[in-house]
Amino acid sequence: MEITKKDVELAAKLAKMRVSEQEAAVYQAQLEALFKWVAELSAVNTDAVQLTNVNHCAHLRADEAFSDLSRAAELRTAFDEEQDGYAKVKKVL
Amino acid sequence: MMTALEIAKAVSSGEKTAEQITRESLAKIAELNPSINAFVEVFEADAIARAKEVDAKRARGEKLGALAGVPVAIKDNILYKGHKATCCSKMLENYVASYTSTVVEKLLAADAVIVGRANMDEFAMGSTNQTSVYGPVKNPVNLECVPGGSSGGSAAAVAAGMVPVALGTDTGGSVRQPAGFCGVVGIKPGYGRISRYGVIAFASSADQVGILTANVADSAKVLEVLAGKDVHDSTSLDAPVPQYADLFTDGLKGLKVGLPKGFLDGLHQDIKDRLNQAAARLKELGAELVDVEVPYAKYAAPCYYIITSAEASSNLGRYDGIRYGYADNEAKDLNAYYEGSRAPFGLEVKKRLIIGTYALTSERYEECFLKAMKVRELIREDFKKAFEKVDVLLTPTSPTTAFKLGQHDEDPLSLYLADLYTCQGNIGGLAGISVPFGKDEKGLPVGVQFYGPILKEEKILNAAYNLEKGL
Repeated sequence: MEITKKDVELAAKLAKMRVSEQEAAVYQAQLEALFKWVAELSAVNTDAVQLTNVNHCAHLRADEAFSDLSRAAELRTAFDEEQDGYAKVKKVL
Repeated sequence: MMTALEIAKAVSSGEKTAEQITRESLAKIAELNPSINAFVEVFEADAIARAKEVDAKRARGEKLGALAGVPVAIKDNILYKGHKATCCSKMLENYVASYTSTVVEKLLAADAVIVGRANMDEFAMGSTNQTSVYGPVKNPVNLECVPGGSSGGSAAAVAAGMVPVALGTDTGGSVRQPAGFCGVVGIKPGYGRISRYGVIAFASSADQVGILTANVADSAKVLEVLAGKDVHDSTSLDAPVPQYADLFTDGLKGLKVGLPKGFLDGLHQDIKDRLNQAAARLKELGAELVDVEVPYAKYAAPCYYIITSAEASSNLGRYDGIRYGYADNEAKDLNAYYEGSRAPFGLEVKKRLIIGTYALTSERYEECFLKAMKVRELIREDFKKAFEKVDVLLTPTSPTTAFKLGQHDEDPLSLYLADLYTCQGNIGGLAGISVPFGKDEKGLPVGVQFYGPILKEEKILNAAYNLEKGL
């Protein structure tokens, strides 16, 4: 499985990470070695395999109304900056 | 240092105070930590105050818990309210836990004393403890060698006698491999046996809390304290928790021990020798040795790196400067804000997030992620069939003993292969324990591993207990 520098840059972008030219080159070589190893899995016949450990229940959970606000003030102490009960972050738009 | 069971007995009987024990532990940490770097923070005042509470409880005539006065180190990814939990990453350098994990709650309820947070590979990604932002941990047996990872600080703290018990986490061997490298006992119970509430996630289908101690009996006692259903963790199993040590037997008559075919191929001779000796010892103890086949287990490591990296790319998405982690307040737009805020991740973490994201792209999803998930099913089926024939499996813990710091820096894939025998347990959801069994020609500890099916921790503990007893 060939991995190009472009692949690395695309994956980094999707992961919302910045990688330098130098890092991308290092990762490209390492990922190529890793995915070559992973390609050994293609030798395994999995045609008849059904996945059993996929959690199908998570999306069926009902919304839970959260009414216990007793710890809200305590948790807000972790905010660097606060306004009207919300964490204040830098305006970026 | 005294064992955890000895300490609990001495403190409960009044032979020693929890404060004395805690001060002894703190003194040992002060003496040895500068050269080993097992602890990234020591909760000195807190630990002494806590020990005094335990002593006061006894003075009031109240019954003390199973771990009365036992000093415990917790890995830096386990939350303890009011204390930092950084995953040894610059990303979380200022994060203070706003609640306490279930495992720490249970330790405190058992009257243990938490003495500090242990060093680890950044976000538990690594097997050498060299990726920590606090610097590497040194192996107490040989300071030029790695202690293993990612729970390297926890293993080193126990091996050096700083504490009798440390908690780690094990996603691909991160408790058992450092236990093997440092010559201590490390147990990763089966998936769901111990709550993960309050443990910072890496790969949710594989992460487990594990225990490191100097002997098997201590591991059994701590597992008794920590195991059980937790309403805060839907993956925890609702099953009775045995008194594990009460199930120890004198000898192993009737136990069927599986020896997986092909597991010795390519192994270092010293490890091969120790494993053969361990098998012979088990036979002397009355166990029946049975050859078993687990043909797909050899694919566990590539499956592990794809699946856990993919899960990490999702779990670590929360470190975006808004929900958690460092915030880049110099950024000029939203994308720059995210990218700048995620810059503090170290090289290994970034690499795994790139691997995971890449494996989940529409072009690679079927070929990589789905394929790995399907092969994982075959591996699970392999182990299920094996445990229809035998009670436990005997395997090496690692293909090598501890190696020099920096030795594999240029070839990270060779490090990934170091997880070969341990990641099978996480991919298969098995219970696994590494127990020291002799040394190699350089005097470095060799660990051997027992695997058992889910909720059968008593089987592997008993096998390890008997093997340890004969040493």
